[in-house]
Amino acid sequence: MKARSAFAIQKDVIFAIFVREMNSRFGAYTFGNVWLVLEPLLMMVMFILIFGLRGRGEFGYVDPPIFVFAAFLPFKILWQLTMRRNMGALQGAKSLMGFRQVRLFDVFLTRSLMEGGLFIVVGVILGIGLYWIGFNPMPRDPLLVLSYGVILWFFASAMGILFCMIGQFAKEVEKVLNMVQMPLLFLSAVFFPMTMVPEPYRSWLAWNPLVHAMELVREAWFPVYISPVADISYLASWAIVAMALAMATYRLSWQKVLAI
Amino acid sequence: MIRLENVSKYYPTRYGPKYVLKNIQIDIPDDRDVALMGVNGAGKSTLMRLIGGVDFPSEGKIVSDRFISWPLALSSGFQGNMTGRENVRFICRIHGVRDTAEIEEFVKSFSELGEAFELPVSGYSSGMRSKYSFAVSMGFDFDTYLIDEIMAVGDESFKKKCEKAISEKRESSNIILVSHSMSTIRKHCNAAILLAYGRAEFYESVDRAIFRYQSL
Repeated sequence: MKARSAFAIQKDVIFAIFVREMNSRFGAYTFGNVWLVLEPLLMMVMFILIFGLRGRGEFGYVDPPIFVFAAFLPFKILWQLTMRRNMGALQGAKSLMGFRQVRLFDVFLTRSLMEGGLFIVVGVILGIGLYWIGFNPMPRDPLLVLSYGVILWFFASAMGILFCMIGQFAKEVEKVLNMVQMPLLFLSAVFFPMTMVPEPYRSWLAWNPLVHAMELVREAWFPVYISPVADISYLASWAIVAMALAMATYRLSWQKVLAI
Repeated sequence: MIRLENVSKYYPTRYGPKYVLKNIQIDIPDDRDVALMGVNGAGKSTLMRLIGGVDFPSEGKIVSDRFISWPLALSSGFQGNMTGRENVRFICRIHGVRDTAEIEEFVKSFSELGEAFELPVSGYSSGMRSKYSFAVSMGFDFDTYLIDEIMAVGDESFKKKCEKAISEKRESSNIILVSHSMSTIRKHCNAAILLAYGRAEFYESVDRAIFRYQSL
């Protein structure tokens, strides 16, 4: 055995967990790892068909499928999946904790990185598909979209870690989150722009940081959209505070959590 | 040297903290193969997990500069829905071994699992599981091996194989062994730690420790 630096160990562990997650998550399915991409892909296609192709043209500035694409893709993968996967990190990885190299944090990190990568892969595949059938899937400012995406992803990871840690001491967290899941889809302005929402509901909805993420992405994606509420510093403050809380909770209770 | 400095371990229960180990102060020298003895619930496996770095002392700390294996117990950390081979690959990767083929083949032949090596670990019987996890750890070169009652389940021929492997390993490394079989302890160890009443005592002589253990 040769001594490795802490960084080298972490790198090895993250790679190992990555491969293991790929194997164990869909290993039992007929199409195996294809489901990793196929699952969000099918979901997206379904939503684009249901909401997008109605073609009511309610948003004059953009094709309906593109509108759904630009909102539901970040919401589904960067928020929902990233948060959920981080939350379930402990149940899925308890057997890994029998090795001193592997820490819960590595599992969080790997899962967050995986979902981030998944976002890009699914986005590109869907984008090519949309381009093929005659839409223009290219954002006005791709880099800006990506950086808003990073903030949302960072926020989702933080919330996931936080819920995972709290959930070990209060199982109710998961129940409540399951209940909130559906309403959150509508409270986060995923399928409508905030310009459609009249006051005072608009300022009420604007308390939700996810609304800001959706609106910011829209602003950067569509050629002419200007959001009435989007505020990057509000979203970023939520992300930073959530991550600080998550890290503090993790640091205080990671050993206790493993013993439960 | 593995040094335990004032190590305590308790688990919170509804009756308040339940101490398993209390203020343990022991140095395990590099040239000793140590048996851990104690009645059921004395904290042998807990101490193993603490030394193996997969559980953490509530108070005090454990200092060591050796490469210590993961605690080899029947329930040790294999992913049930992954095959034997995939689990070996995972363990190779976290130990920084990039070329996993050699260890995979070693484990396959040493564990005598045959086809079962390519099947999910959750389907293994306890005998197969003990063979498997023993074989995996023998694939790596650690300074100290933590062996927790793993040899008790295997069949006679595999036991012989284990003992031969341990004897070979003992030339270059050490073991810390938990066992209820006094003959196994006598054969493989030249020092002992007796856990009783939440305390630990280090014995240079195995026979003396066994005598104390049997008169507990």
